Amino acid sequence: MTAILETKLLGKSFGHFAANADIDFSVEQGELRAVIGPNGAGKTTFFNLLSGTTEATSGTVFFKGTDITPLDGTKRVHLGIAKAFQTANIYPEQTVLQNCRLAALAHTQGAFALELLRRSGRLSGVDALAERALEQVELAGLAGVRSGDLAHGDKKRLDIAIALATAPEILLLDEPVAGMSRDEARKTEALVRKLASSMTVLIIEHDMDLIMGISDSITVLESGRVLANGTPAEIRANQRVQDAYLGGHSEAEIDA
Amino acid sequence: MSPGLRFALLTALGLALFPFAFHAIDGYAGLATQILIMSIASIGFNLLLGYTGLLSYGHAMFYGGGGYVAALLLIRVMPQHPNLWLAVLGATLAATVLALLVGALAVRLYGIYFALLTLAFAQMIFFVVEQSQDWTNGDDGLQNFPAAMLPIGPYSIDLGTPLPALPLGPFGNLSDIKLWYIFAALVFFGVMIGVRALTRSQFGEVLTAIRENEERSTLIGFNAPAYRLAAFAISGALTGLAGALRALYDGSVPIDSVGIERSGSFVIFTIVGGVQTLFGPVVGTGLIMYLEAVLSGKLDYWRLIEGVIFVAVIIFLPAGIVGTINNRVKERRALLAASVRAK
Repeated sequence: MTAILETKLLGKSFGHFAANADIDFSVEQGELRAVIGPNGAGKTTFFNLLSGTTEATSGTVFFKGTDITPLDGTKRVHLGIAKAFQTANIYPEQTVLQNCRLAALAHTQGAFALELLRRSGRLSGVDALAERALEQVELAGLAGVRSGDLAHGDKKRLDIAIALATAPEILLLDEPVAGMSRDEARKTEALVRKLASSMTVLIIEHDMDLIMGISDSITVLESGRVLANGTPAEIRANQRVQDAYLGGHSEAEIDA
Repeated sequence: MSPGLRFALLTALGLALFPFAFHAIDGYAGLATQILIMSIASIGFNLLLGYTGLLSYGHAMFYGGGGYVAALLLIRVMPQHPNLWLAVLGATLAATVLALLVGALAVRLYGIYFALLTLAFAQMIFFVVEQSQDWTNGDDGLQNFPAAMLPIGPYSIDLGTPLPALPLGPFGNLSDIKLWYIFAALVFFGVMIGVRALTRSQFGEVLTAIRENEERSTLIGFNAPAYRLAAFAISGALTGLAGALRALYDGSVPIDSVGIERSGSFVIFTIVGGVQTLFGPVVGTGLIMYLEAVLSGKLDYWRLIEGVIFVAVIIFLPAGIVGTINNRVKERRALLAASVRAK
């Protein structure tokens, strides 16, 4: 097995504050990896460094062995790294289908296309890709709805569908079930399992039951550094992880 | 009839009737021509403000720049055979290149920073034009340059030629209208059809997406600065085209054409008429230019009235005149559809 995504001594500092430091990280093709840690551990910053929305101040990011550290988020999407956001990041004025069509359009037409006069409707591949993404998250029935009118859970699943419509090889999910009802969360959990069978998935989540249940392996961050790596059972048994969560933090955070 | 064909026919019909209807309300045919030309600049400006979400406060650099380049091409390059096509084409190309240069720096900025950078560039262009006395006549502007002829096949057409005399009662006389109006109307028609297609094209679709949610757009793989730069270049090109046409029509290029007030006028024209609408900039341009022509002769405080109109539109019709009408029509249709469903 080869690492699809790897980091060496990756760091991000804001002034004197090191949000991420010396992160060595490696995820295998097809793996479902969770990134957990107490609030403020630097999980979202780490995802931003991987997706390219934040520039690293030190270290290197490799995608399939190639150094992609200088590439911005747009270029990384075209390599096959897609992200769904913590707060659903959608086009609220557009229909559900159009949200995914835009992503599929970027995938099939590239980062820039000077198609000044022709409409995108002629590109049948775009619709097919968008519709398949919606079917995967079970939103095909709401394709014509203005996406700003969707329920909270559906908006978050639409955000995932947008990421899927870019035909990714690796999907970054930042707290996909946060704020969801129990039913919605269960639906999303099933979705994450299904997605993990066909691509590499990285997931940040506070819901420990979900994480322990679905992950192949877990990386624990604390204060911007890697505290531990291991299988769910190993992480559960790890004394340092328990200390990090319980020392100074409420037990509720583990259960949350 | 397809919506595109209906749009084209209605636009053509409007252009054919405009100078006659305009005469009935004391507008003269020359002003009608100027309004069409200035509208092309406003349409270009709206492509940026309405469809890209960027407020330029320096579009006079493209407008005046286009005018000066067209005039200088006639004076310096082809005084013996003043060719209108070449003058207009050269000016439009120059405006496009200028827009690409300025845009390369500006499109990574937002809001007030974008507006200020475009303003600063426009002021630099103004300074250069004013100081280059030998070429531009400084504050006096350029006048009396050779009247450009329009070569079509073996013919060389003087656009100053009036149409044959035919009295039309309250609508004036057919001979009020010069060939210039027909030429400006044809260019306007082409621009209108082109911009309508552009806003519905894949390019327009992506521009709209970037305006609505840039973060998401870059993280699905769109190069947002490249799209904004392309929009800026097209906007600058249309504004430069208008500047060249106006210079050739007027036979003069005033220093004001690269001035800050000219930049501001495109903002006012477009917002009064309605951003994000195809005809808004045209209506805004026409209304303000008409009122200015009618009132500025009679009243000393025209600028004050213009200001009051602008403030009133922003407060009471934030979508602009055409935008407000469009919204009302949509509401009516929705209500009608709802009541039909209720029955």
